[in-house]
Amino acid sequence: METNLIVESVKFMILGMGIVFLFLIIMVYALKFQAKIIGKYFPEKKVSPAKSQTTTANNNTAKIAAIVAAVQHHKNLKG
Amino acid sequence: MNKKVVAFILLLFFALFTTNSFANSTHEVANESAQEVKHEYKPKSITELMASFYETTGINAILNPSDDVMTAEPNPADARPMTAFEQSWGRIIMFAIVILLFYLAIAKGFEPLLLLPIAFGGLLANIPLANMGGAHGMLGIIYNMGIANEFFPLLIFMGVGAMTDFSPLLANPKSAILGGAAQFGIFGSLVGAVMLGFDLQTASAISIIGGADGPTSIFIANRLAPEMLGAIAVAAYSYMALVPVIQPPIMKLLTTDEERRIKMPKLRKVHKLENLFLPIVILFLAVLFLPESTPLIGAFAFGNFLKQSGVVERLSDTMQNSLINIVTIFLGLGVGSKLAADKFLVLETLGIMVIGLLAFAAGTAAGVIMAKIMNKFSSEESKVNPLIGAAGVSAVPMAARVVSKVGQEYDRSNVLLMHAMGPNVAGVIGSAVAAGVLLSIFK
Repeated sequence: METNLIVESVKFMILGMGIVFLFLIIMVYALKFQAKIIGKYFPEKKVSPAKSQTTTANNNTAKIAAIVAAVQHHKNLKG
Repeated sequence: MNKKVVAFILLLFFALFTTNSFANSTHEVANESAQEVKHEYKPKSITELMASFYETTGINAILNPSDDVMTAEPNPADARPMTAFEQSWGRIIMFAIVILLFYLAIAKGFEPLLLLPIAFGGLLANIPLANMGGAHGMLGIIYNMGIANEFFPLLIFMGVGAMTDFSPLLANPKSAILGGAAQFGIFGSLVGAVMLGFDLQTASAISIIGGADGPTSIFIANRLAPEMLGAIAVAAYSYMALVPVIQPPIMKLLTTDEERRIKMPKLRKVHKLENLFLPIVILFLAVLFLPESTPLIGAFAFGNFLKQSGVVERLSDTMQNSLINIVTIFLGLGVGSKLAADKFLVLETLGIMVIGLLAFAAGTAAGVIMAKIMNKFSSEESKVNPLIGAAGVSAVPMAARVVSKVGQEYDRSNVLLMHAMGPNVAGVIGSAVAAGVLLSIFK
């Protein structure tokens, strides 16, 4: 009877470890696959922060140009 | 004319009859309450009063055990008469154990968040006559509210999900295998428990301690061996608190100095969407292969999904803080009700403590050995430091911290924390899967 129970528990172990590993291996592949798909269709925009900086820089130069032009215009009117 | 008279007489009868019956019933009620009042006001001499008061004291209950004291059970049908030992010395021993738990939690800092409520619940459960663990006692109500139906462990899992960051696992998915290997702690000790003479169901409930996952242990214990819930929960949480003591010697024993110094490559940056889809992927895998584990994994995935969505900050904040705190209080008190002398002071408790420790050690060892194997088969640029295998037992994030600490003992510049977090969170999933397998066996 007792040996029977131990054999039974060893069977549990084989089943349990097998399923845990199977589950995690499938998960590993699912996650790798997911990473691939996401990397392909939704690539991270690495340049975006730099881009926004340049745009603000551009905006700034444009603004400065406009101000300079306005001041110039004002001076011209006075002169 | 005649008809009217008949109708009048009928009505009169009816009225008389009803008032009469009313009067009767009120009379009865009055009688009953009068009797009760009479019972309460039975005159007594001062010595009689003193004696009857003494009978209701705890001193008397502990000094003079009586035969008609029943155990306090959340389900009254389970009650059995308490033995004299359980009523007297049993309670005193339990008070001492509770005080020891207080000491460990407060002075030694062993998982105080859970051990304190559990120990205090144990204190309350051992009060004689108060029956706090019974269906109408505070602990019994809490137990029936959320532990008997396994609700509280699920809420805790939700909070754990909301607190967990899966980025390290996503950056290095194969580290999940280490979280699987550590589940050997569960199944290996299952065989050990059966050898010690536990039946299969109880052995399964005990061996889940090897998963180093408190809520899962409570969840499973409640299904498979509710009478041992207290001992299992206390063992699980004590060993989790002892992670920094139990794990390092095993880790050092199984690795060489060279292996402990292995530096692992920097983890890649993980896309936000990967984090968002991960709980859904895991849940779907559970749905397909192991619906039995979906209560645990479902709650976990829900918590994590809300966190990763980034649009429900308030909800995820509640899960991580207020909700999990409230549930922790109730869970602790409810589990503590199982520390009553009649449930805890049985020979099985000793077995549970021993097997729990072995399970925990076996899980750690299996994780480290698996990491060594992975290291043998990995290329030069993707080396695996075998120490991170020890984090395969759940105990998030304590196991990962211990790994990092041990790693830095040998090389100060070697930071393993993030690498160990991968197996660590995989261990949470792994133990939930293992729990699902055990449940499916006993379905």
